[in-house]
Amino acid sequence: MADQLVVEHLTKIYERGDILALDDISFSVVKGEFLVVIGLSGSGKSTLLRCINRLIEPTQGKVYFDGVDVTAASGGELRRLRRKMGMIYQQFNLVKRSSVLTNVLAGRLGYVNPWMSAVHRFPREDIEMGLKNLERVGISDQAYTRADNLSGGQQQRVGIARALMQEPELLMADEPVSALDPATSHSVMKYLEQMNQEDGVTVITSLHFLSLARRYGTRILALKDGKIVFEGLPSEIDEARFKEIYGEEAEHVEVR
Amino acid sequence: MSKSVEEMQALRFRVFAFFLDWASWGYIAYGIMYLLNSYWYTNIHYYGRLSVPTWGWPIVILGTLELAAISHAFGHSIGLSMFGLRLVTDSFTPPSLGKRWQRYLAWHVAVLSFPVAIWFSTQKSRLLHDRLTGTRMVLVKQYKDEIPILPPRAWYKTNRGEMSVVLIGVTLWVGALVTQIDLHTMISRVSTSSYLWKELLSPHFTHFITPDPALQQSIVSGMIETIFMALLATAVGAAFALPLSFLGARNIMGFSPLGWVVFTVVRGVFNVVRSIQPLLWGTVFAVWVGFGMFAGVMALGFHTVAALGKLYSEQVEGIDPGPLEAIAATGARRWQVVLYGVVPQVIPSFLAFTLYRWDINVRMATVIALVGGGGLGRIMFYYQSRVGLLPDAWNQVGAVIMTIIVVVWVLDYISGRVREKII
Amino acid sequence: MKDRYYAGFMTQRPAFFTEFSKGLSRIRRRFLVVLTDLFALMYLWTLASYCVNDFFYHVRNFTSLPWWVMLIVAVEVAAFWEAFGVSIGMRLLGLRLRPIEEHRLGQHVVRYILWHISPLFLFRLLWKSDAVPWHESVSGLKTVRASEIAMTPRPWYTRSWSVAAVLIMLLSLGAAMLITKVDFYALSTGAPKMMPLWRGLVSPNWALLGEGVRLLIVTVFMALMATIFAVIIAVPLSFFAARNLMHGVVGQAVYIIVRTIADIMRSLNVIIWAIVFIVWVRAGAFSGMLALFVQATANLIKLYSERLESIDPGPPEAIRATGGNRLQVVIFGVIPQIVNPYLSFTLYQWDINVRMSTIIGLVGGGGIGQLLFQYMRIWDYRSAGMMLLLITIIVWAIDYMSSRLRARLN
Ligand SMILES: Nc1ncnc2c1ncn2[C@@H]1O[C@H](COP(=O)(O)OP(=O)(O)O)[C@@H](O)[C@H]1O
Ligand SMILES: [Mg+2]
Repeated sequence: MADQLVVEHLTKIYERGDILALDDISFSVVKGEFLVVIGLSGSGKSTLLRCINRLIEPTQGKVYFDGVDVTAASGGELRRLRRKMGMIYQQFNLVKRSSVLTNVLAGRLGYVNPWMSAVHRFPREDIEMGLKNLERVGISDQAYTRADNLSGGQQQRVGIARALMQEPELLMADEPVSALDPATSHSVMKYLEQMNQEDGVTVITSLHFLSLARRYGTRILALKDGKIVFEGLPSEIDEARFKEIYGEEAEHVEVR
Repeated sequence: MSKSVEEMQALRFRVFAFFLDWASWGYIAYGIMYLLNSYWYTNIHYYGRLSVPTWGWPIVILGTLELAAISHAFGHSIGLSMFGLRLVTDSFTPPSLGKRWQRYLAWHVAVLSFPVAIWFSTQKSRLLHDRLTGTRMVLVKQYKDEIPILPPRAWYKTNRGEMSVVLIGVTLWVGALVTQIDLHTMISRVSTSSYLWKELLSPHFTHFITPDPALQQSIVSGMIETIFMALLATAVGAAFALPLSFLGARNIMGFSPLGWVVFTVVRGVFNVVRSIQPLLWGTVFAVWVGFGMFAGVMALGFHTVAALGKLYSEQVEGIDPGPLEAIAATGARRWQVVLYGVVPQVIPSFLAFTLYRWDINVRMATVIALVGGGGLGRIMFYYQSRVGLLPDAWNQVGAVIMTIIVVVWVLDYISGRVREKII
Repeated sequence: MKDRYYAGFMTQRPAFFTEFSKGLSRIRRRFLVVLTDLFALMYLWTLASYCVNDFFYHVRNFTSLPWWVMLIVAVEVAAFWEAFGVSIGMRLLGLRLRPIEEHRLGQHVVRYILWHISPLFLFRLLWKSDAVPWHESVSGLKTVRASEIAMTPRPWYTRSWSVAAVLIMLLSLGAAMLITKVDFYALSTGAPKMMPLWRGLVSPNWALLGEGVRLLIVTVFMALMATIFAVIIAVPLSFFAARNLMHGVVGQAVYIIVRTIADIMRSLNVIIWAIVFIVWVRAGAFSGMLALFVQATANLIKLYSERLESIDPGPPEAIRATGGNRLQVVIFGVIPQIVNPYLSFTLYQWDINVRMSTIIGLVGGGGIGQLLFQYMRIWDYRSAGMMLLLITIIVWAIDYMSSRLRARLN
């Protein structure tokens, strides 16, 4: 199968503080995969994900999505690429004062007629699609409440619904569950798994806990200080590998 | 951080500290001069002024410079302790008194030969008088480990404390003289001016509803005019400030050169316009559109644009960047990001600030009559100018003042309640 | 509501008292609805008659009928609005009429008629807070809270209420333009008259620099001294103006008195205070300083006490738990929390005072403003420009300094 996403020699240096966040990263992702990126905090997971859709400009290297060079895309082309890549965030990144439905509809902004969106009008199909997606993540009854009235898990599901509105081919999730408690974590991860298996969406997610990565991932990428220290199947991570990724003092923590 | 960066920082702080010392000594010198002039100078030209004879200027400048140099070279000054600098020997012990004297003398040599010494030196950031006496001025936070910890001294024993006392003392004394504080007059005139309070507190509401024939206006109509002047000024000001505030927000304009220029210009204009009071703008607009309420509205509105613009853009800068990122990642255009990510976040605080501004504008509108005419202010100043001509002029002024208090208080209360609701 | 720190202990209130206050609040809400409606109606009427007078009779007058006629008509219209559930006051206070689905016209009429008598019996609510007022029980149309009804949101422009709000806004702005005599002709043609002024601003009269700086120093000192004195007065008073620190009948009374006096002092502009003080201590920097001082004191009391009301209740509670008395609680639990905010408010107030002191000269309060307005009056724009330049520089510099310092304090 052809690689859907190819990352070549990606390097990112933050000018503020001269921090080398990503150091010559190369990997590729096949369509339909569930790739989990793990690593300590500060290892560069968020930077990697944000470089793929260029929320952060990479310093060097190339990113190809479906054979198109993302790093060279400009203006409209970048927007068209971005709308194929959904993203989910650790802090949900919802507009707290807007209604749930408005937040979800914001996922359509890349598609709709810009003039209509300027007066907050969306096509009827889009609204129906938004309600359907909310139903899919189980919060259709909250469509008109304000986003900050929801619990953390519900907010993250709104985030998923927003990403679904983009009809994405690739879904990136940056530590989607680290602000949630264990039980809610699993329900959110299940939605990601469901999208991956039923809709065939490729998923790249960064996770904090190895146990979650083992449970959901089809492949694991481990970062340390901006370098790839491991790439392979979840089952391949043994005690020695674990120590290498997380450092000598680390202990296993299970999320059930 | 590299060593050279640290040393440069210490050097920069030394320069800052020196100028701070110079400024504070200069301030003290001016204060003393003012007091001298005020109490002993008989020449009317100098009496009670911050002036010196022409030949005195070099003495003042050089004298304060020397004072700054002494305090600086001895390592005891407000500037040094403000910037966290400490004078130590090469082995990080406090230098002896002799060393400090040497530093003071060598300082003059160092200043005169400063460019040459720096240029030819291998130790670029070490000044000549430091090198000659074997001492150094270090930032305490950079050498935490080497410098012995001294027990904290009582505040009045630190040079910061002593200097502050002197500065505050001079300030109060000079301030009392400059502002002509005169408790004697104040107390002796209590009885002669008490009629004023009596009349203000027994207002005559004779023209509250029925217009005064001379003025052709009643207090109620003045009240309505005042409120509407403020309303119009606020509405127009907010309408202009809204789009401008996005141009004046760092995070919206980004870091491109064009964005930076627009941001700087917009913010700069806001600051200049804001720093000139509506009353002053009133005199300007009175020239433009003629004396009248419209000039007052223009002045208030103009000032409101800048004041609200600044408040608005600070709000825009303070928003949560997460949602913007999320919306940008869906492939939205830049202005769509602003519309869907920024606007919902800032609308409540914008509304609150606008209401608050309306409050302020009502208060301002009561006196804008001085330059623009109209409103309660016009009535008040009319009666005030008739003091001595009308028997109950102050009572009429009292009525207007009571009305102002009630109007402002009611509007304040309403807008406070509404602000509580929307935030 | 935010958690508040209460220096005393909350006590259980007797049952009849809660009943009473519940009934009182229901009466108050109904009263407020009527009052809001009356206000809105009188407002619209006054504006409309002003516009009509201006257009058709070319007189600027707010009244059309005797005020008592207007009042009676307004009361009737308000009753009508309320009987049909379209009242602005009900909307603003979050009340709706129910059941609206199977209503008949007769019910509304009955409600309308009984509305006039029912207030006489409203006092029943005081001892029986769940009693239903007469005009509601007879007509079968109840006033309920909006939160008790399920509603689906509609876009704002399809809701009569928001459309009405927009219309009122537009009418107000239109009337405001008439009242304040907005003159676009003067606005568009008057610009050339600004040329001399503009030229004066661009090439100020540098000969006045020395005199300007001297007055500038006076101005800054006026602001400074006013701030210092204001702090001395406002710091102790702010504790009496903080609701959470004042308890008991005496405490509440002191709180209300201090707050009211501060509010009154705040609501009058510095210029007005200056006029008063000039009579007292004669024109000059002293009277200007006193005017600034009064305003600054009132402002600081408000800022300080609001800050006191929002302190973190944890530390005082901890001190109280260790057995500290009221004074110790304040010294060790409250004061450490407020030092920095107080400093920052003080700086802010100084900043405001500097701005204000530049204009106080207009009425003879001393400072640079006096000279500026003097030159403006004799059309000496070059000299006025010099003063304006100095004012801009000093205000900008102090604004910048104080905002930097405040950013560091927070
Ligand atoms: N905006 C930024 N500016 C400067 N440095 C940053 C910025 N964002 C992240 N970093 C640094 O880059 C490194 C990688 O950060 P990040 O990608 O957020 O790691 P992770 O998501 O794995 O916790 C960290 O050392 C972090 O301090
Ligand atoms: Mg991260």
